[in-house]
Amino acid sequence: MSTPHYPAGTVRALLPTAHVSDATRAALQQRLDAPADYTPQFLAPEAFALLEAVAACLFPQPDRPERPIPLAPSVDERLLEGRSDGWRYDALPPDRETYRLGLGAIQETAQALFQQDFPTLGAEQQQRVMQAVADGTPPGATWQTLDASRFFEEMLAELTEIYYAHPLAQEEIGYVGMADLPAWTKIGLNEKEDREVPMGE
Amino acid sequence: MPDEEVLEEGVLNPVQPEIQDPLLRELMADAPATAPALEIPQEKAQPTTAPLEEVDCVVIGLGAGGAPLLARLAQAGMKVVALEAGPWHNPEKDFATDERAQDFLFWNDERLSAGGDPLAMGKNNSGTGVGGSTLHYTAYTPRPLPDDLHIKRDFDKGADWPLTYDDLAPYYEEVEQFLGVSGPTPYPWGPSRPKGYALAPLPLNSAAQLMVRGAEKIGIRTSPAPNAALSARYYQEGVGWREACTNRGFCQAGCSNGAKASMDVTFIPLAVKYGADIRPNSFVTEIERNAQGLITAVVYTQNGQQHRQPCRNLFLCGGSVETPRLLLMNELALTSGQVGRNLMAHPGVQVWGTFADEVRPNKGIPGGLISQDTHRPQDADFAGGYLLQSIGVMPVTFSGQVARGRKLWGQPLRDYMRNFNHIAGINILGDCMPHASNYLELSDELDARQLPKPRLHFTAQENEHRMNAHAERIMRNIWEAAGATDIWSFGRYAHVIGTARMGLSGDDAVVDRDGRAFDVPNLYISDNSTFPSALSVNPALTIMALSLRTADKFLEREQRRDA
Repeated sequence: MSTPHYPAGTVRALLPTAHVSDATRAALQQRLDAPADYTPQFLAPEAFALLEAVAACLFPQPDRPERPIPLAPSVDERLLEGRSDGWRYDALPPDRETYRLGLGAIQETAQALFQQDFPTLGAEQQQRVMQAVADGTPPGATWQTLDASRFFEEMLAELTEIYYAHPLAQEEIGYVGMADLPAWTKIGLNEKEDREVPMGE
Repeated sequence: MPDEEVLEEGVLNPVQPEIQDPLLRELMADAPATAPALEIPQEKAQPTTAPLEEVDCVVIGLGAGGAPLLARLAQAGMKVVALEAGPWHNPEKDFATDERAQDFLFWNDERLSAGGDPLAMGKNNSGTGVGGSTLHYTAYTPRPLPDDLHIKRDFDKGADWPLTYDDLAPYYEEVEQFLGVSGPTPYPWGPSRPKGYALAPLPLNSAAQLMVRGAEKIGIRTSPAPNAALSARYYQEGVGWREACTNRGFCQAGCSNGAKASMDVTFIPLAVKYGADIRPNSFVTEIERNAQGLITAVVYTQNGQQHRQPCRNLFLCGGSVETPRLLLMNELALTSGQVGRNLMAHPGVQVWGTFADEVRPNKGIPGGLISQDTHRPQDADFAGGYLLQSIGVMPVTFSGQVARGRKLWGQPLRDYMRNFNHIAGINILGDCMPHASNYLELSDELDARQLPKPRLHFTAQENEHRMNAHAERIMRNIWEAAGATDIWSFGRYAHVIGTARMGLSGDDAVVDRDGRAFDVPNLYISDNSTFPSALSVNPALTIMALSLRTADKFLEREQRRDA
């Protein structure tokens, strides 16, 4: 039984049209065209692999087995460049340190709960590790110095915003706001332009 | 004649809101609606060796606090230089309809958020670039109601303004006419006004229509909101034509067609026309004084080079974080002990619901609807009040809030986000009381410029908690009446306010009612740091009105001096 979903390809079909400005197209196309393989530049290879595993747990993409929307590379690039989003919880150390500590601490929790490294755990066990971190009191010595729930919130929010900025994720939720030229004229309830595709079975 | 009278009647007021010249309008009806071409001196380096000439006024910061007074001072013939930390953008070329691609509009130098309710900064309430935060404000521009300025008188809490609504009303009208605010005439709340809004309201989007549906059922009055975005083409002398809003809905980032009245398409072109020298990418680090304590020059870095700009007067308009930060770093105007204190933030709790109807919340002006029926609720157990606002939203912002506020992750997060086209929100904007535990300080941690990062302490107090609870109840009732399911709330605080407050005396305030620093006679502050109380409306309109008033009071003083 299939659940209602938006047809694939909606955003990709709109991108080359005159409904999308050059600036908008450039931003979205760059994400679509990002190469599949990425060599970490800031995080050590093991830490990066761990971040990828965590990201896959927070954003399971069984519908994209060949090529999931990449999430970890954007984090690695940001940490390398030292970019900030303008604020951070005073309770957390600077972002680079927070990620290093937090990823290490997730390993500690995985070891404490299941005596295995996080990436080698099954999906259900990984979820239990992440739930313990989200709940704020996971086992692991590093969590004594790192606020687990704040770390979880920051990391989740960053990965979430990376995910939903991707054109394929926007197709998934039926968002076509990038195709705003020349104007939206049908903006009321249950009104839509031809280029706004309805949900189908 | 008392100067006060002259000013309030607008005699010294050089902006002519009536400039909607019919003949000119007719002549230009078929001309392409372009703003005057501005030379954008992005990379214009100042001479490094030759010392810069003294100017009458330096303005630091080109947001809602700096741009209006810059235009006013330039129009009065003052020699003015504006230093803006961020770049000067080309809206059509630079403003993509993509949230992540617009991150450069936010003040992304890191601030530290402490306290029980740490304030989200960055995109939540900061800006950089010629236009400041107005580049990404939603342009929601209701006026405060008169009693907003007298919270102490009415509730024995917080602080009163050393100004009345009547002092500000002529400036509200001028700003509304100049920006081309679209709104309802007559406005349903507050005193009657001599003049209606410049343009008819913008069309209601789905969220606004749903809020009308729910509010009607439970007896709450609503109205199309005043928004500083054009519901029709609009002409202003010194600015030119601006195009009507295309319902792009992307107002929390840059407006690509100039319909939204950000400063870069309104007061700044006016200032440029009258000779203001605008220097983008100019980050101020030092404020120099002479033996008498008067400001003599400003030191800033532009494109990696340091410059020293001598000036007779300084207007500090950096907003409620950078303004007190500059004062603290330079040990300037600190004798009242109030710099950095009284930090307030508007309670802005949001309530989201899922509807069977198709909403598509990304279209149309985000804050389409308003109610001020909750300004002084009869059953309130708190001081002050709040307004209600329907809200549209963009997917990345919304998803981040779902992650933080609803704590969804994994498959449940993806499943919930599939409802995006069926989701609508309401939020409040409520008054906030100053409290001793809420303040800004310089931390020991240095940023990339080797300057101390500011640390903001904020913990909501009993009054804010009670207001939030009252508001959440009302908003849930509205959404239930409108037919929403899966209703949830997201607690948040927006706008940093009050860190260099105005008052009647230098004993407990940093600046007087004209924005002039008690300690330093040639220093003026114009931004939301001077607000003695938070007000129960969005701050931008009041910042602009105060900015023009500060300029007029300064010009009046200069005129007296010359006489």
